[in-house]
Amino acid sequence: MIPSDHFTRFYNEVFKFLEDQGEEHLEAYWLEISKNQEKHTLALFKEKGLKGMYEYWDHIRIEENCDLDLNLDDDKLELKMNVCPSLSKVLDNDAEPMKRYCDHCAGWIGPLIDKVDHHLVYDVIDRNKPQCVVKIFKDKEKAIEEEKNAKLLMRWPKKKK
Amino acid sequence: MKLSLLENLNIKVHKNNLDQKLRYNDGGNVHMDFHGATNTTIEFIINKYGIDTMNDIFKKVGKDVYKDIKDHIKKGNIKMLAKHWQHFFDREKADYSISINEEEIILTVHRCTAYEHVKKLVGNVSSHFCDQTIKTNEALADNTPYEIKTEILGEAACRQTIRKRA
Repeated sequence: MIPSDHFTRFYNEVFKFLEDQGEEHLEAYWLEISKNQEKHTLALFKEKGLKGMYEYWDHIRIEENCDLDLNLDDDKLELKMNVCPSLSKVLDNDAEPMKRYCDHCAGWIGPLIDKVDHHLVYDVIDRNKPQCVVKIFKDKEKAIEEEKNAKLLMRWPKKKK
Repeated sequence: MKLSLLENLNIKVHKNNLDQKLRYNDGGNVHMDFHGATNTTIEFIINKYGIDTMNDIFKKVGKDVYKDIKDHIKKGNIKMLAKHWQHFFDREKADYSISINEEEIILTVHRCTAYEHVKKLVGNVSSHFCDQTIKTNEALADNTPYEIKTEILGEAACRQTIRKRA
C-alpha cells in the first residue's frame, strides 16, 4: 500500500510521466481526477453553491491538515492556503518534484466549478512555495476583475480556449 | 574542520541507528479518500498506456520516493521497513500483524482499510489496486541482498515477506 499520507508523492511521479508525453496527456488526467472528485462534490456544490463549497473545503482543511483560511461572503468564497500540505510533501521528497505540480489543482477544480456555473480565480503566486489564493465567484464580471490582481494566474484546458 | 568531521561521523552513526526516525514521519489527520484517487489513477494509466507503464511508475515510487528505506535495506537494516509498515498501517487503522526477527520480517494484513475504503467509495476496486504494493515492494528490494514477496491472500488481505535472497 502506498499510504494515503504519501499519495501526493505518487501523484508527482504520475505527473512527471504524463508531462513527458505532452500537455494534452496531463490535461486528460486532471479531467479524470475532476470527474472522480465530482462524486464527492458535484451534488453538494449544485445544491448549496458557495456554502456547499465552503463545507467541502472546510472538511478538506481538517482531514488534509491544511493551514488554510476560509472566508465566505454573499458573492464569493476565498481560500487562502498559508501552507499547502500537498506541495510541501512533494518538495520534501527524495524523488524530484515536478516543476508545475501546482497546476493540477486548477486542472481539476476549474472544470468542476465551471459545471456549477461559478467562476474560479486561481492565484498560485509562486510554484515553488506551498501557498496560493483561490477565489470562487458567483458573478463572472467580478471574477474577471479579480484576475487582474493575481500574481500567477492558473488556467485549465477549457479556460485557455 | 575537526568539528565538521565529527558532525559527519555523528550523522553516519545515527543513520545506522535502528531508532532513527522514518524519512516520512507523517502525523495529524488521515485523508483516506486519496486511495480513491489512486484507484482512479491506476485505471486511467492502464487503460491509456498499458500495465507496463503503471508498473514502471510504481517502481519509481519504490526506488526514488522510498530511497531512504531502500538504502537501509541495502545496508541490512530491514527493520526500517517494518517501522514504516507499522507507522502507516496504524495510521490507517488496518488490522495487521508483524513478525520480526533478524533474518526476515513478515507483515500479514488481515484487513486492508485502503482497499475497503475504495470499495466503499466506488464499488469496484481495480483488479490492479494491489499492484501498488507488489511493484513498489519489488523496487524497494531490487539491487539489495533482500527480496520482498507479496502474496494476495484474498480480498483486502495479503502477506508481505522480506528475507535474504537465496
